[in-house]
Amino acid sequence: MTEDIINMRGWVRTAMDFVSENTIGMSRHWEYTDSVAWFLTEFMMCVMVFGGIMTTLLVLLWMERKLLGRFMDRRGARTSLRSLWVGENGVTAGEWWTQLPFGTGIPIGMLNKALNEIAGNDHKLEAVSRVKNRSYHGVWWLLPGFFQNLADGMKFLTKEHMVPEKADRYVFEIAPFLIIATTVMCFTFIPLGPNFHSNNSEMSILFLMAVFSVAPLGVFFAGWSSNNKYTLLGGIRSAAQLTAYEIPLLVTVLSVVVLSGSFNLIEVIEFQVDSGVWNIFLLPLGAVLFIVVMVAEVERIPFDMPEAEAELVEGWWTEYGGMRWGLMFASEYLRTYAACLLFAHFFLGGWEAPFEDTIPFIHYIPHITWVFLKAWFIFIFFVWFRAALHRVRTDQILEFGWRWLLPLSLVNLAMATVLRLWVYDGVKEEWPILVPILITSISLALFVLLSIDEDPKALEAQTRPFSVQTVDVASPGQHRK
Amino acid sequence: MAEMWISMGPQHPMTHGLWTLKVKVDGETVVDTEPDLGYIHRGVEKICEARDFTQITTYCDRLCYASANTWSHAYIYAAEDLLDVEVPERAEYIRMVAVELQRIASHLMWLGAYCPDVGNLTGMVWCLREREMMMDLLQELGGSRMHYNFPRVGGVKRDLPIGFAMRCRAKLKLFLDRIQEYEALLDESTIFLIRTQGVGYAKAEEMINHGVSGPNVRAAGHNYDVRWAHPYSVYDELDWEPSVERPSIKGSDCYDRYRVRVEEMRQSASMVLEGLDKMPGGSETYHEPGDPAILAKVRERAAEGKTGYHHFEDSRGESMFYLVGGGEKRGKHPYRVSIRSPMFITIPYAAKCMIGYKIADIPAIMGSFDPCIGETDR
Amino acid sequence: MGKEVTAEQALSAANEIVNDVSDFGDAVKAEVRHHTGGRRKHAYVYIEVVASEWRELALWLKKSKQVDYCSMITGIHWPENTDASWQVVVHLLRTGVVNPPVVKKRIHETKVDIGALFGNSVPMEFEISMTLPDMRDPSVPSVSDIWVGADWNEKETWDLVGIEFEGHVGMRRVLLPHDSPTGYHPLQKQHKLRYHDYNEMYDDPQGFGRKPEDSGRVK
Repeated sequence: MTEDIINMRGWVRTAMDFVSENTIGMSRHWEYTDSVAWFLTEFMMCVMVFGGIMTTLLVLLWMERKLLGRFMDRRGARTSLRSLWVGENGVTAGEWWTQLPFGTGIPIGMLNKALNEIAGNDHKLEAVSRVKNRSYHGVWWLLPGFFQNLADGMKFLTKEHMVPEKADRYVFEIAPFLIIATTVMCFTFIPLGPNFHSNNSEMSILFLMAVFSVAPLGVFFAGWSSNNKYTLLGGIRSAAQLTAYEIPLLVTVLSVVVLSGSFNLIEVIEFQVDSGVWNIFLLPLGAVLFIVVMVAEVERIPFDMPEAEAELVEGWWTEYGGMRWGLMFASEYLRTYAACLLFAHFFLGGWEAPFEDTIPFIHYIPHITWVFLKAWFIFIFFVWFRAALHRVRTDQILEFGWRWLLPLSLVNLAMATVLRLWVYDGVKEEWPILVPILITSISLALFVLLSIDEDPKALEAQTRPFSVQTVDVASPGQHRK
Repeated sequence: MAEMWISMGPQHPMTHGLWTLKVKVDGETVVDTEPDLGYIHRGVEKICEARDFTQITTYCDRLCYASANTWSHAYIYAAEDLLDVEVPERAEYIRMVAVELQRIASHLMWLGAYCPDVGNLTGMVWCLREREMMMDLLQELGGSRMHYNFPRVGGVKRDLPIGFAMRCRAKLKLFLDRIQEYEALLDESTIFLIRTQGVGYAKAEEMINHGVSGPNVRAAGHNYDVRWAHPYSVYDELDWEPSVERPSIKGSDCYDRYRVRVEEMRQSASMVLEGLDKMPGGSETYHEPGDPAILAKVRERAAEGKTGYHHFEDSRGESMFYLVGGGEKRGKHPYRVSIRSPMFITIPYAAKCMIGYKIADIPAIMGSFDPCIGETDR
Repeated sequence: MGKEVTAEQALSAANEIVNDVSDFGDAVKAEVRHHTGGRRKHAYVYIEVVASEWRELALWLKKSKQVDYCSMITGIHWPENTDASWQVVVHLLRTGVVNPPVVKKRIHETKVDIGALFGNSVPMEFEISMTLPDMRDPSVPSVSDIWVGADWNEKETWDLVGIEFEGHVGMRRVLLPHDSPTGYHPLQKQHKLRYHDYNEMYDDPQGFGRKPEDSGRVK
């Protein structure tokens, strides 16, 4: 196991041993001391992992809000709050701190001025200032809006719980809990650090994938039981889409398993640490497949057909309200978070710091930091997709899944098999260093080549600014005849 | 699979307003559609019968909240036809500037609404960002942000404010750069292309027969434009051509309708820039309020039984006002005001257009025709 | 290449139409009128037609004069005018829009050479007026099969003005609620807005002038 300065599991075990010895150990059931300590340790670790995930989930929501704000070139609610003292064209409507008695506002004014000058946005890149200089002069590192989601949660709790009159009430009530419970169960086997996991099972990846694919059932329940045409369509879409993307997902994960030689998630990470190469440099195709499939699995743009708000109002959760809606919304983010963490573990070496062996003193940083940083970094891609892409149609989603992702994932599995069987140096237990370099550079070159999708002939003939023109079936690369 | 009717509306993200589209679907495929309008019918035509000719402009502004200026101008040209009023040339230029700025703002509003229709919120925010600039310019002209009440019978409310041309040029220059951002976001996105291309085919002759006009017809490959076919204002003095798209053999699809509007925004921006250069000087932009030359005509023309109408190139197609003078109080009011709304005719056609496509294409097709319910229901 | 249709083009095209309309005899009266306001006084065709002849005229316009676009159909109620109590006004346009041509298997957009337009290719406005005497069920022939664009115009005219269109399939309320009472057509003039008497909604929206019914009486 990797050395970590946070030996959380060891500490908890020590504490629980102490507790157990001093309670059970003193009683006539002393022979159960060890079992009770083990049980308490597992329980405590479960609680801590769950707490850690739920707390850091706020970061995801906050990141989504802020990154989208940046991508979309807008500012959030803080803009209007700041406009209390920052007016249009930089003219203040009145500096409220000067009106406080006895000059108590002077420090506020000085602080505000200093902050704005030192760390305020230079508002050269901001659309708001381009438009009318109704600008945001705030300080970004104060994490504005971080606790907005808590306020949202409070609001959901105050809402009335409504069930449609003709809904199938039992199924309607069960569906959200089915979704949420299975989502939370995913985190049982996701380690947050080398000594920070709730369970180290030999078959953890299998369990993870099994649990991860129960949620579509709940989605379909929700869509069916609401007795609403929109939710029904959303539920059916969701079932079709998730089934279609479950298979490439499993095959992709299988390729990681083949490469690492274990169904145990912790051992997969350990393999990456020991062999010295992260899986992404060996299976770049697998990484791309995994993130694409995961976007579809967690139903985010561009694959959010089941809840396409333009035509299906809110898809399969249209009829839910209040905290049930809030929990389902949270479960979407939990699934996204699970996807990000799994990506970090499968492909980015889990808790291993980049260049851990070469950078001095880097191992003093707790490994849990790297897990979260990698997961959040992957989440940036999810937000980026959402900001930059449009929604794909149902038939296009299914076509993409069955006709492209499934064959590609099989190719990826074959690659993984070849790498493991014939390339991996079983004696020294590490990868020949040329292999990841070669694979990565070839993949990058391919990516650049495939990104150039402009068809010069079509451009010439159509006097259109961009490439793709079609006659009837819209598919990229085919130009209008 | 069994067919079922879905009632999309009156409150539905696809509708862009208050109306109902009843869709009969077979699984995911649209089999039949039926639009149902009238949710915000205010009876503007009846109200106008109790208002005099200057008061009606205010109501025309409120016909379409996305394109207020074009509607009040459409009315003003009809009223001038009825009342036989000449307009100073400078006023005509100012009107042209106001209308074309409004056309840009309206198209931006359309594009801003179209991006969420195909699932992207970024485009909406970007478009509304640039729309702010147009709104600010129009605010300088009309004094309010949305309903300007800018034109007058025989001129415009007031002359251009000092420095307007400078600010207008600067903002339009910035705007022309920004259009490239939209194109980078939309045209270069394969997903946008596969969502819009090959979807919602409409042929030019069929559209004309159905009464659809404006950008939708120009997207189908014919440069018919009321601005040259039934000329008004100062468009002959500007160097411009209506933007026209090259459709596919099956007709224009949603992508063509998107392209033509983007090109039209460019076209309008260059028209405004040119108009600002060519605008004649002088301060004569309107007839004095209560000008006897106009007031006398109201009764005189009504007694002759004259009517006035004017075809106007609205940002959504050909709009028209038909005015009959000689209402109550000896002709101070019109006897009958009739409004031709382009979207009232286009919505049934768009609803026909989406038969055979998927449910997911409904917002893409309906949005591409640029529906505006304020003018539709009147 | 001209930038827009000139007054001469419009005038000669309008004259041509008016001359050809004379074939119809007394039932159709056509004249060339001119717009009055604005910078240009373009000519347009004004036709008065007997309602029974309207369909024939419409077919002729569509076939011989390539009038392809129905802009607006509207009705006017003149209750004081007993011999012409109902008027239907139709605005048509000749746009000349054609599908874009295919040259060498490629679509090419049409850019009209405006200066070269003549005769039937000149865009032209038509104002067609029909009057009906005072009757309970005013009715004119429908043209919604000639110009599909007339379909909803006719629905609206029936809905708001109450003029029926013979041969129109699927007539229904479009702007008013579907359960509006039969015979309720708000643009008929018997529905007053504020013409004669005091109208609370417009003259006293705040209700300041409202008084109880028994005010002024000794209680």
